[in-house]
Amino acid sequence: MATTTGTATEPVTLRTRYRKSVWLRLGEALLWLLLIGIAVIEIAPISWMFSTSLRDPKNSFDLPPDFWPTALHWQNYLAVINSPDIEFMLFFWNSLKIALIVTAAQLLTCSMAGYAFGRLRFFGRDILFGLFLASLMVPATVTLIPSFIIIRSLDLMNTHWALILPSVTSAFGVFLLRQHFKSLPEELLDAAKIDGAGYFRIYWQILLPLTGPALSALGIFTFLASWNNFVGPLLFLRDWDKFTFPIAIATIRGYMGSGNQSEVLAGIMISIFPLLVFFLLAQRWIVQGAAITGLKG
Amino acid sequence: MTSTALPDDGIDRQANPQKGTTLARREAWAGYLFATPALLGLLAFTALPIIASLVLIFLHYDLLTPPKWAGVENLTRLTSDSRLFKIYWNSLRLTVGATFLNNVLGLLLAVGLNRAMPWGLRYLLRTSIFFPVMTTTASLAVVWRFLLTQDRGVVNFLIGQIGLDPVPWLSSSAWALFSAMIYDVWKACGYLMVIYLAGLQGIPAVYYEAARIDGAGFWQQFRNVTLPLISPTAFFAIVISLIGAFQIFDNVYVLTEGGPGDASRVIAMYIYEKAFRGFEMGYASAVSFTLFVILITLTLLQFLGARRWVHYE
Repeated sequence: MATTTGTATEPVTLRTRYRKSVWLRLGEALLWLLLIGIAVIEIAPISWMFSTSLRDPKNSFDLPPDFWPTALHWQNYLAVINSPDIEFMLFFWNSLKIALIVTAAQLLTCSMAGYAFGRLRFFGRDILFGLFLASLMVPATVTLIPSFIIIRSLDLMNTHWALILPSVTSAFGVFLLRQHFKSLPEELLDAAKIDGAGYFRIYWQILLPLTGPALSALGIFTFLASWNNFVGPLLFLRDWDKFTFPIAIATIRGYMGSGNQSEVLAGIMISIFPLLVFFLLAQRWIVQGAAITGLKG
Repeated sequence: MTSTALPDDGIDRQANPQKGTTLARREAWAGYLFATPALLGLLAFTALPIIASLVLIFLHYDLLTPPKWAGVENLTRLTSDSRLFKIYWNSLRLTVGATFLNNVLGLLLAVGLNRAMPWGLRYLLRTSIFFPVMTTTASLAVVWRFLLTQDRGVVNFLIGQIGLDPVPWLSSSAWALFSAMIYDVWKACGYLMVIYLAGLQGIPAVYYEAARIDGAGFWQQFRNVTLPLISPTAFFAIVISLIGAFQIFDNVYVLTEGGPGDASRVIAMYIYEKAFRGFEMGYASAVSFTLFVILITLTLLQFLGARRWVHYE
């Protein structure tokens, strides 16, 4: 390698430069290969699901598999939606209702507490905030059993409250918004105080409008966590008419998965379709939000 | 970091002590009021459960009959539960494997994506790699169950095309846990990519320029600039991956149902089954307490270890 590049003046520099550019190109090529390869692997199961959900059910297990729709058997979707045994669109409504209520509640409670901890002074503030910080370290798996007992003793089994109440606030959200409120300039609040604004007006009309990115990041990920929640419905919901998508799909798979792959996949497509649309529209915010809310783990 | 409201109110109080006290009192009231909703949620669904689970460890409770005092029986039972050890071994292998692959892939993908490329291509790659992160773990596990079926599964068909024998992905105890790991990496590596991407974008371009002027090649830049400066991000990403992977539940619950036998059962599933199928709330709490100790220790160890190898700029 690099045998002919030596000149009288700067042989070493030129030789090393040439050698490195080969390595550079090799590294770049490998990275491209990895990027494109992984992108294909990531998207293939989803495009296979979509293609197979459009196959005639009697061909649904046929090989070779499709990664691009070859049939357009939309009747599978109608069959799922109009199924006589289960009201599929009710799952959509249940999932949406719970996710919206949980998201609204978290945005409100976390921003209120964030304001209190970040901008107001009161006795015990730092101890209380320390409690929130400490609870960030508590894994959800550990509180599962007592949460179940609490929900049961509140007589909330098989109701949507069982999913909403434990999620009305999050220590992470309080932490995130407190940091944002703290970082806003003091002059802003002084001006508002001089104008005679009360605490609620400062919170609602001055601080909240300036917290857009943090609020939307928290909102997006709270919504997703609720929409995708599986353990909650598995523990708390018993009747079909209360089910949300994830638990409904896992249950449907159990009794019709071996016979009709296409219709099960059509059901899953319906359940993730809102996420797909949402993601294509708001990709940028979602990806940024994922980085901000990384702490949520 | 930033200043709080301290200095401004201090002046106010000195000028008019009476008014200052009232203001301070009003501010305190506002503080309590604003914090109350979140505080109630925290107390009811985090603090109370923690205390309750500490009590439950010392009880026999099956939900139907009143709880009975158990002393340390649940704790001593932990040491003689051979299934527990096997399941923890599964969890450990799954956690280490998934964390390693997710972080290596996440970092490499981020380095790959953090280069000059047409906007459309970047959008396409990022969308494809990140979208699985947003989807429902339990539902996509149903999709992967179909994909990994031994006889008419897509994955076995594809590896058959290159001449390999079909693999019993979900039905053999040698492969089931590995399949769960593949599914987790498929689902989560895009998330790690985004975290590493944010870390990479925080590295000032001047460092790379300086390295290039000194004649550093691709690998040397990666080794001497990217790695040291990304290490705080990596530290954080590895901690959250470990903590997340130790709690994997939906994935295995749907994909392999823990089987065959206990081959792919993980600790979160064992806790769930002891509590809600066996109705042994006390023993299940004792098991989940061991998980809690492991996760907390892990976090603390990582924080201590971080001092050694993390370079803060």
